[in-house]
Amino acid sequence: MTDTQSPDTRVPARRPRPAAPPAAVPPPSARSRGTRLLATLFLAPTIVGIVVFTVVPIVGSVVLSLYHWDVIDSPSFAGGANYGEVFGDETVLVSFRNTLVFMVFAVALQLLIALTLALAVNGRMPVWLRSVFRSAFFFPLVLSAASISVVMKYLFNQDFGVVNWLLGLVGIAPVPWLTSENAAMATVVLVYVWQQFGFSFLLFVGGLNNIPKEIHEAASLDGATGLRKHLSVTLPLLSPTLLVASVVGIINALQVFEQPYVLTNGGPGDSTRTVVMVIYETAFEQLRFGEASAVGVLLFVLIMAVTALQFRLSRRFVHYQ
Amino acid sequence: MTDSHLTRRTLLRYGAYGAGAAALAGTAASWDRLTGADVPGRDDGSLVVATLGSAFDPAAVRALREGFRELHPDIPLRVNAVQAVDWSDFFAKILTQIAAGTAPDLVYVATEGVQLFARRLGVPLDRWVRRDADELREYFADVHPSLVESMMYEGSLHQLPVEFNAADMYLNRQVLRRAGADVPPPDWTRDDFTALLRRMKRSSDAHFTPYFWTNRLWGGVMPWLFANDTNLLAESKAPGGSWLWDTFYPADQRRGRGGGFRWTTPQATDDRVAEAYEYLASLVREDLCTRPEGGNGSNLVGVFSTGRVGVTPAGGFWAGGLHLAGMDPDGYDVQYFPRRLTQRHQFGAAGYAMLRTSKMQDAAWEFIKYAARRDTLTRLFRSNQTTPARRSMLTEARYRDTGPAGWRVFYDTLDRFPDTGPIPAPPQVAEVEQVLLKHTGAALSSPRAVRPALRRMQGDLEQAMEREI
Repeated sequence: MTDTQSPDTRVPARRPRPAAPPAAVPPPSARSRGTRLLATLFLAPTIVGIVVFTVVPIVGSVVLSLYHWDVIDSPSFAGGANYGEVFGDETVLVSFRNTLVFMVFAVALQLLIALTLALAVNGRMPVWLRSVFRSAFFFPLVLSAASISVVMKYLFNQDFGVVNWLLGLVGIAPVPWLTSENAAMATVVLVYVWQQFGFSFLLFVGGLNNIPKEIHEAASLDGATGLRKHLSVTLPLLSPTLLVASVVGIINALQVFEQPYVLTNGGPGDSTRTVVMVIYETAFEQLRFGEASAVGVLLFVLIMAVTALQFRLSRRFVHYQ
Repeated sequence: MTDSHLTRRTLLRYGAYGAGAAALAGTAASWDRLTGADVPGRDDGSLVVATLGSAFDPAAVRALREGFRELHPDIPLRVNAVQAVDWSDFFAKILTQIAAGTAPDLVYVATEGVQLFARRLGVPLDRWVRRDADELREYFADVHPSLVESMMYEGSLHQLPVEFNAADMYLNRQVLRRAGADVPPPDWTRDDFTALLRRMKRSSDAHFTPYFWTNRLWGGVMPWLFANDTNLLAESKAPGGSWLWDTFYPADQRRGRGGGFRWTTPQATDDRVAEAYEYLASLVREDLCTRPEGGNGSNLVGVFSTGRVGVTPAGGFWAGGLHLAGMDPDGYDVQYFPRRLTQRHQFGAAGYAMLRTSKMQDAAWEFIKYAARRDTLTRLFRSNQTTPARRSMLTEARYRDTGPAGWRVFYDTLDRFPDTGPIPAPPQVAEVEQVLLKHTGAALSSPRAVRPALRRMQGDLEQAMEREI
């Protein structure tokens, strides 16, 4: 706030009422009203964007989840029937299980790789080499997930893919990367993590740079070295960044769609079918928009619950300097 | 807060806000729903035709438009080439347009969507066909009745087929030579087919796969079910349709025809279905074929043209694809699908469906007739990216540059095996296809998975078919 004049020293705009309680907030001055108006104007595009593209669709989905609608005919009120159908649909339940399994492995791997590489890049190395690594690790993130998945589908093809060809050179039999129930989910996780870890990596690099060198020096004077220093100093001080990276990572992972859709189309069987895939198939292939919205609402609730849990746990594990 | 803080001025101000908000809400509520048609320039009075973008190249679309303008200068035409990876994706986008209030007048629809469109969105063409019967005689004389029958629904004709593709078997001549084999005879059996794959495998290196197939409704497991004289869903024919058969086809060609196909009771646990799956599982185990890969087989052209695949099922559409990939016309050939209990083939066809929301139905009918003309199809299908529905268009000259030498197989499939029929595509086709793909992948993912997977498929199909569309 640039206004240095205390509100108490201002000339009152009008005579104070005798009956007013002592704690009453004095009316804002014309200048502060102008500041508020300016702030509101600056925020308006963002607020309008959030309302139009986030709040309205969320409310719309909740309303639609209470209707049967197939696009062709008018919607008819269904009450909670769509939710009943969803809870009785084995494919939906399997997709939630797959999504949670995917989220656990993808986020854990993503954070582990990103943190390890960030620590490595933050070590001693020429500045130009550090820039090369930073760009290289971040680059996959700017590519389209669908395009990457198409390329990866070729690479991981069991019969004609480069990966199995290379493995064959060292005598390893072809691996059914995308056509075996066990391997398919692992492959989808790998492809996803390869593309996504660059974001967490950048966060960690920024977080590491924010840790004062004096603290590391003090730890060294106290005799801490290598791993001990990372566990006792770096990680606690990096915990706010870890929280942000894990929150964003989990929210993204719970909404995974492109990679399993292109790589395996949810198969074999339902082994890689995720919640967002089910939403897409139910709505746009089977024309059951009400049920698709119900699944969407459940996913929304799940994401909210997981995020709330993370913030609750963060009180114990996150240390702010 | 006490009442003493609510001044008269404040009260009046909030009252004004409330009145303003109520007025805005009232105004908004009294408006008609905004739709995509409200976007300026969207609804310009043109006849709008939605085509599958990847089915026609831009030059073909231009030719389609210009040809129609010459014939009907009074009907403005807009061709909306919707880009989609497959028919399912295409239908999803068309339905999104319908939901947005920008429904086209005509939609290019393949077998996969014929019954869904006929039941929910389409207009029967019967009255126009009856009215213009004389004009259409030449068309029907040139088009096989099986293709026409596949476009009928409950006794009414919904589309004039303009293209089709039956699943025949493509053979790589380079691989055949390497194996010391020749193109098999037309009446070859499934055992001959297996023996040929083994021979190809023996004569090639470890990176070679004799048989490639794609997990999809058309050309996936379905041809094997047809050859085993069975189907995923019990097949019958609707009554009716004699108005069309009696008018346009001679007695020998209208025998056994009805008012369109009906696909009803799921029969995934039928022994013949299980036997076909077990056969494919045995090919996978023997490394004679790929595991069922999802998608549209986009990587197939490359591996086939370089001799890493020996045999694959495809229709006439692949001749153009192989030619574009640089394959010599004599580098491959085509033969009928092998026989097991029958040699019945499966096919998919496509044509233009008129939407009941269209306000230009007479103009739309003129376009349907125009699109089925021989000169139009010649302009549209120049590069052998499909099999034209008109028999007269399949000529030596058409296949001279692209091959294959056995091009007659494409149309003769319909004549030689008159029971050849469309892939099962009831109005619930989206769910049926999804269930098929899902459980086919699971059935062939490991040994002994076939029967349990088919039992699950049966349950899911029953659920899908119970759903009212």
